[in-house]
Amino acid sequence: MVILETVLEATWEHIVLVYTTLLVSIAVSLPLAFAALYSKKIEFAVMKFANLVQAVPSFAVVAIMVPFLGIGFTPAVVAIMLRALLPIIKNTYIGLSNVDPALIDYAEGVGLSQWQIHRHIRLPNAYPAMFAGIKFAGILANSIAVLTAFIGSGGLGEIIFQGLIGYNTRTLLAGAIPAIMLAVLIDVSFTMLERKVTPGYVKE
Amino acid sequence: MENMLTIRVIADVWERHLMTMRTIEHLHMFSIALMLSIMIGVSVGVFIYMRPKTADPVLNFLNIVETIPDLALIVLLLPILKLGAGPTIAACVLYSILPVARNTYTGLKGVDEQYTYVAHAIGLSPREALFKVRIPMSLPLIAGGIRIALVFCMGVVTLGGLVAAGGLGTVLQNGIQLYQKDAILVAGIWTGLLAVILDGFAGIIEKKLHERYGTW
Amino acid sequence: MQTERLFERIDSIHLEGITKKYGHGFAVKDLDLEIQGGELLILIGPSGSGKTTALRMINRMIEQDAGTVTINGINTKDADPVRLRRNMGYVIQNIGLFPHMTIGENIGLVPKLEGWDKERIKERVRTLLEFVSLPPDMFMDRYPRQLSGGQQQRVGLARAMAMDPPLFLMDEPFGALDPILRKQLQKEFLKIKNEINRTIVFVTHDIEEALVLGDRIAIMNQGELVQVGPPEELIFNPANELVADIVDTQRKFKHMDTLKVKDLMSPFDEKYVLEGRTETCDAVDVMTERDLETAFVFEGERLIGQVTMVELMKCRTRSQKLSDVARPVKIFQPTDSVAFALSEMKSTGEYLAIVMNSNDPIGILISDEVLLKLI
Ligand SMILES: Nc1ncnc2c1ncn2[C@@H]1O[C@H](COP(=O)(O)OP(=O)(O)OP(=O)(O)O)[C@@H](O)[C@H]1O
Ligand SMILES: [Mg+2]
Repeated sequence: MVILETVLEATWEHIVLVYTTLLVSIAVSLPLAFAALYSKKIEFAVMKFANLVQAVPSFAVVAIMVPFLGIGFTPAVVAIMLRALLPIIKNTYIGLSNVDPALIDYAEGVGLSQWQIHRHIRLPNAYPAMFAGIKFAGILANSIAVLTAFIGSGGLGEIIFQGLIGYNTRTLLAGAIPAIMLAVLIDVSFTMLERKVTPGYVKE
Repeated sequence: MENMLTIRVIADVWERHLMTMRTIEHLHMFSIALMLSIMIGVSVGVFIYMRPKTADPVLNFLNIVETIPDLALIVLLLPILKLGAGPTIAACVLYSILPVARNTYTGLKGVDEQYTYVAHAIGLSPREALFKVRIPMSLPLIAGGIRIALVFCMGVVTLGGLVAAGGLGTVLQNGIQLYQKDAILVAGIWTGLLAVILDGFAGIIEKKLHERYGTW
Repeated sequence: MQTERLFERIDSIHLEGITKKYGHGFAVKDLDLEIQGGELLILIGPSGSGKTTALRMINRMIEQDAGTVTINGINTKDADPVRLRRNMGYVIQNIGLFPHMTIGENIGLVPKLEGWDKERIKERVRTLLEFVSLPPDMFMDRYPRQLSGGQQQRVGLARAMAMDPPLFLMDEPFGALDPILRKQLQKEFLKIKNEINRTIVFVTHDIEEALVLGDRIAIMNQGELVQVGPPEELIFNPANELVADIVDTQRKFKHMDTLKVKDLMSPFDEKYVLEGRTETCDAVDVMTERDLETAFVFEGERLIGQVTMVELMKCRTRSQKLSDVARPVKIFQPTDSVAFALSEMKSTGEYLAIVMNSNDPIGILISDEVLLKLI
C-alpha cells in the first residue's frame, strides 16, 4: 500500500534531481556553445560526441555509471546530464550562430565590445532556440530520472520499481502518474517561458 | 578497473549472461517495433495529410505522448498488455509514431503542387499520384523520421529488461542488481555500440536518399 | 491497370456553352467552339482571357459549371477522368518532369501503369527520345536536373506522346524558353506535328507562334470567344479592333527603314562562345550546362561558324572537332539597317545572326525577337 506521504516525498526528490541536473547542464552547455562559436575543432568535437551519445539507449548510459561512480544521486546526475547536454548545446549554438552577420558588423561599427555583442546581440537572438532546447532537455531529464531510481537516485522511479517487484498496479500508477504530470508541467511552463523570450511571438 | 575488459572477461560475461540470445531478443523486439512504427507512422502521416483538419489535433496529441517518461508509459501499458514484450513494443510504437508521422506529413505537404497537378493531368489516379509521386518525393524526410524512430525504439527496447521483456536490458538489470561491474560494462558498451552502428547505417541510407531524391 | 482506349482518332471535339465562374467573375463564359479532327487549333488572347481554363475543361482538370464537352460524340462527363486523360497528351510551360525519376522513367510512367512489360516500355522510350532528337543512350538514365531547359521541354513532349494519344493539349509549351530556343523548338515541333498528324489544342501568347503553327486560331478575350478562323481570315477580316490589334503584322514593319541592327540586337555573352578544337561530345555537355541551343565557334579571335545542339547530338558517335562541323553564320555590322538584316536572314531561312564590330562579337540578332520588339 502506498501512502500519500511517500508519493509526495518521492515527487520532491524527483523534482530536485531533475532541476539540479538541468541547472548543471545549462551551466556546462553555455560555455561549450560559445566555445564552439570560436573554434571549428570544438564545434566538431562537441557536435559529434553529443550526436553519438544521443543514439545510445538511456538505460545503457545509466548502467555504465555504476562501475565508475557507484550508485546514488551523483551518478544519476551525471547520467542524465550526458543525455540532456546535447539538445541545449545544439540549440544554443544554432541560435548563437544564426545571427545576421550585418547586425554583428553594425554592432562592431558602433563600438560594442566582444562581450557586449555576446550579451546584447547574440544571446537574446539565441533565446528562443535555447529555451526550446532546455524544454526538450527538461522532458528528457524527467524521463531518465525515473530510470535512475534503479541505481539508487530516489524519486518517483523508486515507487515504480517497488510496484514492479510485487506487480502491484496501484503502486505502479502511484509512481507513473505523478511522473507524467511533472512532464506535462515542464512542457507547459517552459513553453510559456519560450514564448516570453521570443520577440514578437504571436499566439496562433 | 584498468584490466577489467580482457577478452576472457568479455567472453565469460557473454557466456554467463546468454548475451547471444539476449542480442537476438533485443533485435527481434526492435525490428518488430520499428516495422510497426514505420507502418503506423507513415499511415498516420498520409491520413493527416489527406484530412488536413485532423493534422493539428493528431500532432498535438502525439506531442503529449512524447513527453511521457518512457518507463512510466511502459508501466501504464502493463495492466493492459501484461508482462513480456507487449508493453515494451507498444511503447516503442507510441513514441515513434510522432517523428515518422510528422516527417511524412511535412514531406508530403512540401511536394510542389505542380508535380501533383502534372501527375493528374497525364492521367494518374489520385492513388497513383500519391504512391508514384508524392511519397517517393518525400522519402528523404520520411527516412529522417524513421531514423529518429530507430533511436527511440533502441532506447525503449533496452528498458524492456526491467519489465521482463528480455533483451540486452535484462543483462544490464542483472548486472546492476548483482553489482557485477564487468557485466554492466560489457552489456552497456555492446548495447550502445549496437545502437550507434544502426543509427550510422540509417544515416548513410538517409544521405543516399537525399542524393537520389532530395535535390531539385 | 490497363485502360481501354476511349477513341483511336479524333473526329471532332465540341465545346458547347461551357462556362466557368470563379467568385463573381467568369473565367470562361458560354464558350462554343468546334475543334476538327487532325487540326492544330491555337487559343490566343490577353492574359487572363480564359485560355488555360478552357483547355483544362477538355481533360476535366477543371469541371465546367455549365455546358458540355463532347469528343467523338462522347460527353466527357460520362468518361472516367483518369481514362480520359490517358487518351490525351498534356504539355505545360513549366514542363513538370518528376525530379525523382530518370528521363526514361518519366516518359515510361503511364505505359508502366498501363501494365506494359519492361522491354516494350524501353523500346517506346527509345523511339520517343529519338523522335524529339535526344539520343536515347545519352539521356535515358539522366535526371531532369541534368538537362537544359530546351532538352527538358523535349522530354515533356516525349512524355505526352508516350501512349500515342490522338489528342494533345499544350499550354504555352515554349513559353518559358528564351527566344532562340523557342524558335528552334517551334521549327522542330512543326516537323513533328506534320509527322504525327494528330489533333492539337495549343495555347500561346505569341502571335508569331500562332501564325507559324496554327491551322486555325481562336481569339479569346475576357472569357469569351471573339473570332475563330484560319490565319488569313483573321488578318484580312478581323472581327473587331482587338483581333486587328493582335494579328496586325503591318505595324511591326513601320520604322524598319530607320532602325539599325544595334538598336534591336541582344547583347553578346561569353557563354555563346565555344572553341573550334572542342570535341563535339564535350560541347554537348557544355551547352547543356549553359542552357544553349545554338553556340558560336571561334578559333582564337576568329569566328568560324555556328553549331546547334540538335546537330551536335546527331554526330556524336564520331569524335569530331567543332571546327569540322560548324556551319556558316550570317554576320552584320551594328550600323546595318534592320530591314536589310531581316530580309537577308529570311532569304536563307536563318533565324539567328551575329553582330560584329570589326572583329569583336558585340551582339546577337534574333529575327523573332526583332519582330516582337517592333510591335
Ligand atoms: N483557381 C482560380 N481561382 C480564381 N480565379 C481563377 C482561378 N483560375 C483562373 N482564375 C481566373 O480566371 C481567369 C482566366 O484564367 P486563365 O488562367 O484561364 O487565363 P489565361 O488566358 O490562361 O491567362 P494567361 O495567359 O495569363 O495564362 C483569370 O481572370 C483568372 O484570374
Ligand atoms: Mg494560362
